[in-house]
Amino acid sequence: MNGTDTKSTTHLPKKPKLSQTLISDSEIQSEFSHHDPTIARINNGSFGSCPQSIISAQQRWQLKFLRQPDHFYFNELQKGILESRLVIKSLVNADHVDEISIVDNATTAAAIVLQSVSWAFSQGKFKEGDGAVMLHYAYGAVKKSVEAYVTRAGGYVIEVQLPFPVTSVSEIVGEFRKALERGKSNGRKVRLAVIDHITSMPSVVIPVKELVKICREEGVDQVFVDAAHGIGCVDVDVKEIGADFYTSNLHKWFFCPPSVAFLYCRKSSSNWNDLHHPVVSHEYGNGLAVESAWIGTRDYSAQLVVPQVLEFVNRFEGGLEGIKKRNHDTVVEMGEMLAKAWGTHIGCPPEMCASMVMVGLPACLGIFGDSDTLKLRTHLRDNFAVEVPIYYRAPKDGEVNLVTGYARISHQVYNKPSEYYKFRDAINQLVHDKFTCALLP
Amino acid sequence: MDQEEPRNGDSTHNHHGLLHVSKKPKLALPISEPEIRDEFSHHQTGVARINNGSFGSCPKSVLAAQRKWQLKFLEQPDDFYFNTLRNGILKSRTVIKGLINADDVDEISLVDNATTAAAIVLQQIGRGFAERKFNQNDTVVMLHCAFQAVKKSIQAYVTRAGGSVVEVQLPFPLASEEEIIREFKEGLAKGKENGKRIRLAIIDHITSMPCVVIPVRKLVKICREEGVDQVFVDAAHAIGSVKIDVKEIGADFYVSNLHKWFFCPPAVAFLYCRNSKFSPDMHHPVVSHEFGKGLPVESAWIGTRDYSSQLVVPSVLEFVNRFEGGIEGIMKRNHEQVLKMGRMLAESWGTNLGSPSEMCAGMVMVGLPSRLKIMSEEDALKLRGHLRVYFGVEVPIHYLAPKEDDEGGARDKDGIISGYARISHQVYNTSEDYEKFRIAVLHLVEEKKICKLLSTE
Repeated sequence: MNGTDTKSTTHLPKKPKLSQTLISDSEIQSEFSHHDPTIARINNGSFGSCPQSIISAQQRWQLKFLRQPDHFYFNELQKGILESRLVIKSLVNADHVDEISIVDNATTAAAIVLQSVSWAFSQGKFKEGDGAVMLHYAYGAVKKSVEAYVTRAGGYVIEVQLPFPVTSVSEIVGEFRKALERGKSNGRKVRLAVIDHITSMPSVVIPVKELVKICREEGVDQVFVDAAHGIGCVDVDVKEIGADFYTSNLHKWFFCPPSVAFLYCRKSSSNWNDLHHPVVSHEYGNGLAVESAWIGTRDYSAQLVVPQVLEFVNRFEGGLEGIKKRNHDTVVEMGEMLAKAWGTHIGCPPEMCASMVMVGLPACLGIFGDSDTLKLRTHLRDNFAVEVPIYYRAPKDGEVNLVTGYARISHQVYNKPSEYYKFRDAINQLVHDKFTCALLP
Repeated sequence: MDQEEPRNGDSTHNHHGLLHVSKKPKLALPISEPEIRDEFSHHQTGVARINNGSFGSCPKSVLAAQRKWQLKFLEQPDDFYFNTLRNGILKSRTVIKGLINADDVDEISLVDNATTAAAIVLQQIGRGFAERKFNQNDTVVMLHCAFQAVKKSIQAYVTRAGGSVVEVQLPFPLASEEEIIREFKEGLAKGKENGKRIRLAIIDHITSMPCVVIPVRKLVKICREEGVDQVFVDAAHAIGSVKIDVKEIGADFYVSNLHKWFFCPPAVAFLYCRNSKFSPDMHHPVVSHEFGKGLPVESAWIGTRDYSSQLVVPSVLEFVNRFEGGIEGIMKRNHEQVLKMGRMLAESWGTNLGSPSEMCAGMVMVGLPSRLKIMSEEDALKLRGHLRVYFGVEVPIHYLAPKEDDEGGARDKDGIISGYARISHQVYNTSEDYEKFRIAVLHLVEEKKICKLLSTE
């Protein structure tokens, strides 16, 4: 079932067929009509979105199982998961479908990769003090996972300080090199580098290809790219990027229902046979992809709709490529509009954004910590019907009167300019009313 | 949604007022037969679905409740995450706490399934070995018929970290509890040989294949007497099958799936971890930003996912309370019916039941005619497939390898009974389902079909 796949059995069109009419604006609105219409939903980045036709497809799969679960288990499930894996393999340009495992989310993928590092420490393959390098802006769950699996097992963790706002790729590269040097000092080895493809908060596109190259040059054992925001946001070519492990959520920017992600594990990696799903079933030892395809009785429907999602994106002009480009162009346009309206700036150059951009909030709002950002976010949701995450950027020594708060705006196919105007007006209102976060309970 | 509830679990003050966990239905009429049929009308017609034990079942009204939760998330996920999810999970945990007589809702975590719970418990044991808290070759004791996933989990987390494993043979067919107790005591003795310590005993409450109800309370008591560190009861089938009182049972960990016999959609299970001075360091293997805040909180957020099956537990309680006698009435009737059907089949085929009635719950093992010549696991699987495809009967088959001394084996008039069918009874089953199975087997015997030659196409 899992092996030879050089000629895949599914025809995977990446562009819409000529005879097919493109999806219209009103059809798009209809596909997302289940979204709360009163909210300016400019936060696709956090939880993603899923169109009606995919929800229906998912419900069909769910019903199939409920109807006759034994038959489904024996005759349908494995086939369906393989189909999804084949679609993903093609999308990311992997060599073998064996390299593609489907899991719940990037958080799970991180646990898989980090657990194998933990074993290597506890079984003496890695020495105490050997290091793992990660970005300071690594996702909270990943940081905790590193703590749980690496630090606890005796590994030493180095965080790469990234500047923000950031003006060029070279700033990131410079900091990364410095961190690798720290990791290698005193004869230690860097066993794993965890690199975000697109950081979460603050959100920037990281030059992963270049960083992976540096890792190879500097003798880092393995590289894990956490691309939670990857597919449907940036170009994903796993061979070109060259990492050992690459994970991306499919429910964020690839229209899958919650939740499904893939974990790519390069076959040539030394521990390819020793990657395991932490929830062990009778499939233990049959390879990560097979293990992940059965982790006990569960609803696997979100993992089974991937082929239907490909059909969906191909209804758009230019398919997924077209969607990415339009999202990028529009979110930059909206970000610049907001920055101009508020007299602030965007957090990084447009080429370091994908479909999200960090927009500085007026300093007079008085955002002075993480709890302020949460309060402001809630205030915007409850009082202005705007959903947008806020990031607190602490001032460094010597900096005064700075922008300390940034909003991460997203753009996905269902968004409209009016939603960003709503946000613009809300902030303008707050500024006009001399609002500060200190006033919030 | 109830906004007054605290976010995260401090429940000691409000569990009385929070939810009236009624175990008996109100005075309204109990659910009728046509209503029950309607609730399960999405089940494939024409199939004698006598295998509730494997994948469970979920009524339409609970599926509708689940859809509502799913839609709520999709509608405005941020609001759902910040304002709705935690409260909903706490409500579900509170219902379960009431059902199983736990002391504290902090002892209840919700996970996907018993397989996940096993990984959590065993990972913690594995850490004990890896961090040298335990000596190499200290033991874990389990039943030899433990669920395959659990066995593999032991391999992945215990054996790999240097622990050793002792398997307790479950005699089958069984005549009494005593047989199990005897074997178990021997197993513990083995586990303690040469100064080894037994770090964990894993005891099924209801074994999977072959299926019997184990006297867990007695076995846990023996574990305490023999100085076993921790006891984990794998009760995947228990809730909705047998009465559960976790305090009375006295284990350190107790897990049961709610989607098997408690009408939840796939998939949700609870893991009970007894509060104690020496509570070990339990963690969900999928680490999120909630790491370190206690297993219930960690399990309530393991990244973006569909948590809806965990949120419908209160709706399920409403459903079971529409039945006469609530969940207890359901359990009682399932037990009575499955035994009645089992005896009917055994009599018709000239075979036997695998255990006495008090060691069955909603499932029973029925001997299959020896003439079918079930000689391997492969044969059993083939027979199952053949029954599904050619007779529209869904039932798992257990292959019983012949013992060396051949004494314990049950026989029918033609030879040793080497195969058993595990029949289940749930509220949607009718006697026609079992009649269909009875005739199918008689037909196979009449046609002189043996397993080796069966086709499953």
